[in-house]
Amino acid sequence: MDHIRWLLGRTAAALLTLLGVSVLIFAAVRAMPGSYTDLVLGPLATRSEKAAAAARFGLDRPVVEQYLYWLRNAVQGDFGTSLAARTPVATEFGDRLPVTVTLTALALALTVLIGIPLGVYTGTREGGGRGGAAGRLVSAFGMSLPEFVLGSLVVFLFTRYSLGLSVGTYVPWSQDPLGSVGSLFLPACVLAVFCVAATARTTRDAVLGVLVEPHIAAAVARGEPKGAIVRHHVLRNAAVPVLTLVATLTAYLLGGTVIIERLFNVPGLGSYLVDGLDRRDYAVVQAGVLLAAAVFITMNLLVDLVSGLVDPRIGTVGKRADA
Amino acid sequence: MRAAAVRVRRALAMRSYDGLFRAAVWVLGVLLLVTLAGPFVGVGGQPDAIVGPRLMPPGAGWPLGTDNLGRSLLPRLLQGIGTTLLLSCLAVACTALISTALGVIAGYRGGRTAEVILRIGDVLYSFPAIVLAVLVAAVLGPGRTAALAAIVLVTVPLMTRMVGTAARAVARREFVTAARISGVRAPTIMLRHILPNVAGTVAVQGTYALSVGILVEGGLSFLGYGVQLPDASLGLLIQEGGLYMVGAPWLIVAPGVVLVAAIMAINLVGDSLRDRFEPRETRSLV
Repeated sequence: MDHIRWLLGRTAAALLTLLGVSVLIFAAVRAMPGSYTDLVLGPLATRSEKAAAAARFGLDRPVVEQYLYWLRNAVQGDFGTSLAARTPVATEFGDRLPVTVTLTALALALTVLIGIPLGVYTGTREGGGRGGAAGRLVSAFGMSLPEFVLGSLVVFLFTRYSLGLSVGTYVPWSQDPLGSVGSLFLPACVLAVFCVAATARTTRDAVLGVLVEPHIAAAVARGEPKGAIVRHHVLRNAAVPVLTLVATLTAYLLGGTVIIERLFNVPGLGSYLVDGLDRRDYAVVQAGVLLAAAVFITMNLLVDLVSGLVDPRIGTVGKRADA
Repeated sequence: MRAAAVRVRRALAMRSYDGLFRAAVWVLGVLLLVTLAGPFVGVGGQPDAIVGPRLMPPGAGWPLGTDNLGRSLLPRLLQGIGTTLLLSCLAVACTALISTALGVIAGYRGGRTAEVILRIGDVLYSFPAIVLAVLVAAVLGPGRTAALAAIVLVTVPLMTRMVGTAARAVARREFVTAARISGVRAPTIMLRHILPNVAGTVAVQGTYALSVGILVEGGLSFLGYGVQLPDASLGLLIQEGGLYMVGAPWLIVAPGVVLVAAIMAINLVGDSLRDRFEPRETRSLV
């Protein structure tokens, strides 16, 4: 019963946050200097021409009315029409979403396959001393490489010295699935560097945190082999923070691949969003940000649910401590 | 109060840290010194002076090469480091102030006040960092002010949450209850009893916020929404260097190396501070 109430509370809070995001993004887009009519009609348009264009897109209505209209349609999956391209935003999203999802999936696969084992390895073999310092240095280095620096470097190396993978040419999935993955491999690697370093570090910290707990000492005293202890006791208990991080990284990748998409010329959601911002394309910006925030909020909600399953104390203990 | 002072003094004693931390502090010190002293000593000459042919590799008159207009890269790099560090530090100072105030209030008051503060933070936190930054720049118009505001808005939610959590733990302790029972007023309790005990968290989170700030400034300038020409920042120099990368890679290497070194040094300092202020037993049996 406690669990269900906690679950409902979390869901309601998530929806409330999303509503807050929608208000904020709507207000921000309206607060930008320079309106759509200025950009599309140019500086020589007369007042009446501007008024006519504004009326056609409903931009002359009161802001609150515009907001409610937009929200009602957005809930039903209609994000309006791109003012610049005159195409439905939802269609464009449908075309671009697979690109960003493939990119994210590739980067995440690298992250999970490299980051978690690396973290468990360094965590269980924490000798301190030189090994520890080297590990810290490497992970700090990985986390300090901004994607625009590393990305620029990769673009340079792969264009200057033909190293096998082409840069800046995206191959659609429908044309050549393998080639599509190949064309997204480099940007995914650049994205993954930070994620791998962060995941390895968090996993290592979580493992170290579990290893000092009394039940591990008890398992050692019972004479359980080390591998079994790591598999049965450590991994499960260290899972929650790692899970949280991986979910956060997923949301970050899905909503934040703006720079990498620009750099590698990938026609995904991030580049669509920033291009929309440049053109004051209200519908695109609003829908893009709302989608990114919705992904982020949903991921966080999922993490809460899954951590509740992995660790049943969450939700009940926290509640009592709050009261 | 005195205990806090002792803790701060102990935290400042360099001897007690490991080599990595000291190296990081040295890197940051050198960067700061170079930026502050560079313009007075006139290292490398004027940033906007044209000293030679365009896109020359490093040579006698231009230690780090020349850019697409024939300007020497070295003084521009120094200017860029200065802009980036100044902007980020200023922004993080604002963040620290806002977050500490909100976090301490949320942690001490709890209940509805905390709920409102954290919920607003959640809304901001749901925006992808770089998207939020670009959005702020689009509303305010690209430039230094936009970069500053963007860094603050990106870093405030997480720091408020962290300080709030720390403050709540402190607010539950006996000495706070004792102070409350003896009739100390709430603002005094927050200032005298809660604040000194969350100082460590503020220092750790502030350090991390600084590295995020530098990243945001870089990304924003890289996308063309941050610091504008003819001004220079590390992100802007990297973006510029990217355009001439194939013919003149030195233009991107120097600012890239400095940026990575700065972020890494700050992260390492943050890690050491975290180990210091949030100690954890790490001796294990396995």
